[in-house]
Amino acid sequence: MALGSPSPASPALVESRLVQAHGLAALATLLVSVTFGIIIALQLWVPDLGAGTPWLSWGRLRYAHTQGIMLGWLANAFFAFLYHAVPRLTGRPVTSPQLGRWLFALWNIAVMLPGWVLVLAGVSQPLEWAEFPLVVDAVVLVGVVMAVIQFVPPFFTRGLDSLYVSSWYVIGGLVFTALAYPMGNIVPEFVPGAAGAAFSGLWIHDAVGLFVTPMALAIIYYVIPAVTRKPIFSHFLSMLGFWLLFFLYPLNGTHHYVLSVIPMEAQVTAITASALLGVTVIIVVANLLLSLHGSGVLAEDHGLRFVVMATIFYLVVSIQGSLQAFMSVNAFVHFTDWVIGHSHLAMLGFATFAAAGGLAHAWPHIPGARYNPRAMTWAYWLLLGGLTTMVVDLTIAGLVEGQLWQMGAPWTASLEAARPYWIVRTLSAVPIAGGFIAFLVGLTTGPRTDSGAGVAS
Amino acid sequence: MTSQPGPVLRMSYLAASIAGVAFFVLSVAWLGVWPARKLAEQARLTGPEHPLALTASEVRGRAVYAREGCAYCHSQQVRFTDADIARFGAPTMAWETRGDTPHMMGTRRIGPDLARVSGTRSQDWHLTHLYAPRSVVPASVMPAYRHLFQGAPDQPGQSARDLVAYLETLGRVRDLAWPGGEAPAEVVHPARARRTGEVPELQADGDAALGAMLYAGHCAACHGASGIGDGPGAVGLRPRPTNLALHSYSQERVAEVLWNGVAGTAMPAWRDRSIEELSALAAHLQRISVPGVPADPLRADQIRPTDEERDLGGRIYAANCAQCHGAEGAGDGSAAIDLPVAPTNFTRQTPMFDEALRALRNGIDGTPMAPWGSRLSGDELTAVAHYVREFYGGRR
Repeated sequence: MALGSPSPASPALVESRLVQAHGLAALATLLVSVTFGIIIALQLWVPDLGAGTPWLSWGRLRYAHTQGIMLGWLANAFFAFLYHAVPRLTGRPVTSPQLGRWLFALWNIAVMLPGWVLVLAGVSQPLEWAEFPLVVDAVVLVGVVMAVIQFVPPFFTRGLDSLYVSSWYVIGGLVFTALAYPMGNIVPEFVPGAAGAAFSGLWIHDAVGLFVTPMALAIIYYVIPAVTRKPIFSHFLSMLGFWLLFFLYPLNGTHHYVLSVIPMEAQVTAITASALLGVTVIIVVANLLLSLHGSGVLAEDHGLRFVVMATIFYLVVSIQGSLQAFMSVNAFVHFTDWVIGHSHLAMLGFATFAAAGGLAHAWPHIPGARYNPRAMTWAYWLLLGGLTTMVVDLTIAGLVEGQLWQMGAPWTASLEAARPYWIVRTLSAVPIAGGFIAFLVGLTTGPRTDSGAGVAS
Repeated sequence: MTSQPGPVLRMSYLAASIAGVAFFVLSVAWLGVWPARKLAEQARLTGPEHPLALTASEVRGRAVYAREGCAYCHSQQVRFTDADIARFGAPTMAWETRGDTPHMMGTRRIGPDLARVSGTRSQDWHLTHLYAPRSVVPASVMPAYRHLFQGAPDQPGQSARDLVAYLETLGRVRDLAWPGGEAPAEVVHPARARRTGEVPELQADGDAALGAMLYAGHCAACHGASGIGDGPGAVGLRPRPTNLALHSYSQERVAEVLWNGVAGTAMPAWRDRSIEELSALAAHLQRISVPGVPADPLRADQIRPTDEERDLGGRIYAANCAQCHGAEGAGDGSAAIDLPVAPTNFTRQTPMFDEALRALRNGIDGTPMAPWGSRLSGDELTAVAHYVREFYGGRR
């Protein structure tokens, strides 16, 4: 086995039912979260929609939307991928199928369900990317520890036959999440004011940088060589990127509070780290794209096609992130829809395309699972079109809002100016929701895969 | 690579894990713990020694604010940028937020920042706005929090009262900590309604067509499309929005009301508007107030007092009204300063005769103006109504 690509594994080691269960749970929670998102997008220009019904009010639905995307859709999709990939990377089974069933139940029935119900009922915490209340946070933490126990030990036990960068990202991502989650979800409940915001800022970035990004990159680094059957372009660049990302990501958080009362030294550190992060991502993405070895951006294989697009989004969103951390840019675009466009590019562009690529890659390996390539093609194009429309639209909206605020225009002028953009943004939900439905169709219809051995690697 | 991974490979995974944890700890120490200590030190050095704690109601209101996600559209931090300072006042200091657990500084502004919102709007305005935002701000996209009320904006439930009580704390500590006890309005929040303060001169030839458009977009919600104070937002407001059609205003008075707002009422300050726009509004206002002869409301009524009525009115006014409205009707009586809503200055603003009589008889709900209908006879009320109207334009 060449250095820099995942190794084949005996399918007997893979808990295929858990891949399937987490995959379907991911899509179910995704569709619910997207519905929340569509309602709140509508409410920005039909503000009386749902008025008088507490759980349909904008604030509560927004809490449910973002937590659902991160913990429902992405986490489930990542777990599905890990059940597929960890045995193939290590040549060992995951720690325990029994633990896997408990983790699945805990995550979906003791985290997502009560999390959503409580937030919509008004029991929550007003902390970004941490809105589920403390009691649910505790369960999430148990779940993350279970995931660490489930997926990390195979890397340390007998049977390692290749040092692959995906493994590093899996280990790093899981361990970091276990550390960062309590720091962002629990600490600000006890640290007041701007100091609490400093911790929140770290978490807002850690959620993306230490949980979502490592998992998404693990998928990308796995799928590209698995499909192309050629090694990653440069193992050195993979390792360089890994270490730089893991050093720089945690230092980014304070850039969410630029020009605030948080000490300037911390702000400058975060801005510097943000700029360096952009440079690092250029290295990482160059290495990934060079690894395509001519497979092209629009590969036949849907898993590859999704992760390649995720890689491109990763580059764009990271450069954008570096740019908007600079004080002069931040003074203008912060608080506007620009940032909402940015976060959708990160979570719906980069992370979702990676997660979708992981699922699309893993699915045909599940014995007896259905797979519909035509629907997957539809999913790809609908998502790409919808997301691009939304991000471009919100970015322009943000620039318009920022300009009006700088000019000292009356506040309501920025609302009136944003309205057409908010309408377009809501319409962009049609292809996006359609794309996700097509994706679900892709995983539940079509011919069944060989129920025997599955497809190798 | 090797098919016998051996301890070296496993060690490298271990090293990665340890280094990863070290990076994380470094970030938390550098960007979390150290700033927290520095902020605490800053707060200790610059903040008041005995910060104001929130009351039980304000604490409950904060919880409502938190659970409804208010902080996701309204930041609570004025940043160190020119645009922020111009719009929202002095930048937020470390000590101002030291009691906020969890913090709600926010990263998005769909609505304006609320760090200094106390004093910029009256309680009845807040309640009306929470109940039906577009009834007072037609362009607003805020959700309606009707579920916090019992069916009407002036029937708030406990949560709505608590929430408004909490809103009134935002910026309060900064305000009180100012040397001398109360900060100048523009330092705390440039849009705060204020009783006095320099007012720019409006252009005499404002563009009435533009004024009509602005009026429809921003004023009609409370004052009504025709200016008679019957807009959709009027229901829950105390005092009720003025019936503009039944009053005459001097240009100075219009400028003062638009620029400073009317402290103690729901009328906000419109200092975020240009002089052109305010002049245009003034021009439109002159059209809707006392139709026909805006410059001379006395002639418009065709009602003139007799000399006896003037004498009677003067005696009653001196005995009962001058303490607040001032001997010369300028709203500067000795008691005026203590009143939550400034008494009308009749030299710059005057009601039509019927409106004067109505206000005298019934008082003005929501202001210190008491009802005199049971204390004065019909003749006396008529006499006073005539008397106060003659202050207008320095006639007396």
